[in-house]
Amino acid sequence: MKKLWLIIFFAIGLSSVYVVDETEQVIITQFGEPVGDTTSEPGLYFKIPFIQKANRFSDQILEWDGFPEQVPTLDKTFIFVDTVARWRITDPLLFFQSVVDERGAQSRLDDILDSVVRNVITGYDLIETVRSTDRSEIATENLGEDVQVAPEFLIDLKLGRDGLENLILEQSKSSVLSFGIELIDIRIKHLNYVESVQKTVFSRMISERERIAEKFKSEGQGEAAKIMGDMEKELLSIQSEAYSTAEQIKGEADASATQIYADAYEKSPEFYRFWKLLAIYENMTGQNLSLILTNEGAFYDLIDGKEFKRTVD
Amino acid sequence: MAKIEIEDMFNDSGINMGPVKEKAERWLKVFFTWVIVFWAISTTIYQVSPQETGVVRQFGKFSRTANPGLNFKLPAPLETVVLVPTREQLKEEFGFRTVKSGVRSEYNNKGFDQVRIMLTGDLNVADVQWVVQYRISDPKKYLFNVRNPKETLRDLSEVSMRKAIGDRLVDEVLTSGRDEIQIEVKESLQNFMDLYDSGISIDLIQLQDVNPPPSVKDAFNEVNEAIQQKETTINQARQEYNQRVPLARGQAAKLIAEAEGYATKRVNEARGDASRFDQVREAWEKAKEVTEIRLYLEAMEELITKISKIIVIDGDLNGVLPFLNLGEEKQ
Repeated sequence: MKKLWLIIFFAIGLSSVYVVDETEQVIITQFGEPVGDTTSEPGLYFKIPFIQKANRFSDQILEWDGFPEQVPTLDKTFIFVDTVARWRITDPLLFFQSVVDERGAQSRLDDILDSVVRNVITGYDLIETVRSTDRSEIATENLGEDVQVAPEFLIDLKLGRDGLENLILEQSKSSVLSFGIELIDIRIKHLNYVESVQKTVFSRMISERERIAEKFKSEGQGEAAKIMGDMEKELLSIQSEAYSTAEQIKGEADASATQIYADAYEKSPEFYRFWKLLAIYENMTGQNLSLILTNEGAFYDLIDGKEFKRTVD
Repeated sequence: MAKIEIEDMFNDSGINMGPVKEKAERWLKVFFTWVIVFWAISTTIYQVSPQETGVVRQFGKFSRTANPGLNFKLPAPLETVVLVPTREQLKEEFGFRTVKSGVRSEYNNKGFDQVRIMLTGDLNVADVQWVVQYRISDPKKYLFNVRNPKETLRDLSEVSMRKAIGDRLVDEVLTSGRDEIQIEVKESLQNFMDLYDSGISIDLIQLQDVNPPPSVKDAFNEVNEAIQQKETTINQARQEYNQRVPLARGQAAKLIAEAEGYATKRVNEARGDASRFDQVREAWEKAKEVTEIRLYLEAMEELITKISKIIVIDGDLNGVLPFLNLGEEKQ
């Protein structure tokens, strides 16, 4: 009997204390009726044994992970959107009364957030969900040769991803407030094309790449043609300049040679004619030459023993 | 319970086992005492490894942190300890998983499409794998503030990476933007971790493989090939240029040098001719007629040696050619 009492006392003792952990907040209920304030300060507390019950609620930041939704955007592209949210229980009493526990809360969050996400995403173009800034500097920035700025990139962003996330948060924040829940943030975790869209995107990417490849190839050919043209120009210029210089040099030489000859021969043009004529006779070449003389020429006169007929004065 | 069972067992056997029963009870007492002592010691003394910090809670309330080494606390329900690896650098992999790490690590990247495939700012698709290295900088915050810090880190890492990728061109993602993305994601992720007061500090975001999606990869390679081809074409043209232009320069120099040679020769010859003529003329001046005759005869003498036939005709005769059979000497 003594042992039995010991066990009973021990049970009463255990039931009259409760511990609030750092990660918890506790509501005391008496026959299901909430009693007193929420205890969120950690430590050891007392309650009426058996009659009062400690209901524990998390005091931490909790997670919500949405189911990947297939959503059409305003520009009729189907995408998979997977969102995550962080939330915490700010009013345990309200939470307890409206959704009972975390499982209930998760399902309410599913209902509200999934539909808000769907509504917001559907109301905007795909690009708004993808981009967060318009990065207009990219249009002016030099990104190097191998980076191509697609026209889709240069748009005026209305809200962008951050804006949409804020919009979703704003629209759902007030709805979950009545569950004693504070939504901290809601973020787009995954964002992918649905398979059929992905195929067309891939073929677009391929054709875009092919276009870029073609561009590079023809750029190369163009550049090469330019180099060839430059070369041709350079060659012609070098050749013609050389020709011009050479002819000029030759001309000058011819002129000064002519001058030298003129200076010399001017002193006696008749003697020059006589002298040069003799040089021609002397330099005459060939085989079986015949010499036809009249009986009046200078040479015949000399042969004939007559006086030499001077031609030079 | 155990005691009752033993009693029952003895009673069922129907044998008086009084002394044996007493002995068994004694042994049980000793056994339970030891169990209690063991439990008390094991929950009072605990060891903290060098890379860990212990966080001690007394009745659920944070009491103190414990440094590496042997530490003491009140037994279990009164004080509890959780060991947090604060000095260890922790790693989360995204889009792949290290199957076996070592000198040659093995990776598995199949079946992570949800994580890896993401949209770029020009609505293209990129396949991105990355690693987040982080430390638990505040074990108290890490344990108390966020229910599931690791999952939270994973979620927000994906959020941050998608945001950074979604704000860039596919070309930037694949080539020049890597460093920028790493920095941006690190900043963004750290901001989230601070927002949740999670006690996590991000050390590093490391982009691993960043690729175009497999079915588009060939087309991307084609672009690289086209860039190579462009370079090759240009280089070939430059090579031809470099071969032909210097050659033409050399030929030009040759042409000019030849012209100069011609000029020198021409002038020198003129000078020589002039000088010779001048000297002969000067001599001729002194004895004109006799010099003329001498020069004339010398020339004729020279000429005569080459002549095979001399024909003399009357000066008054016209039309000599019809009678003369030119070329008959050849026969």
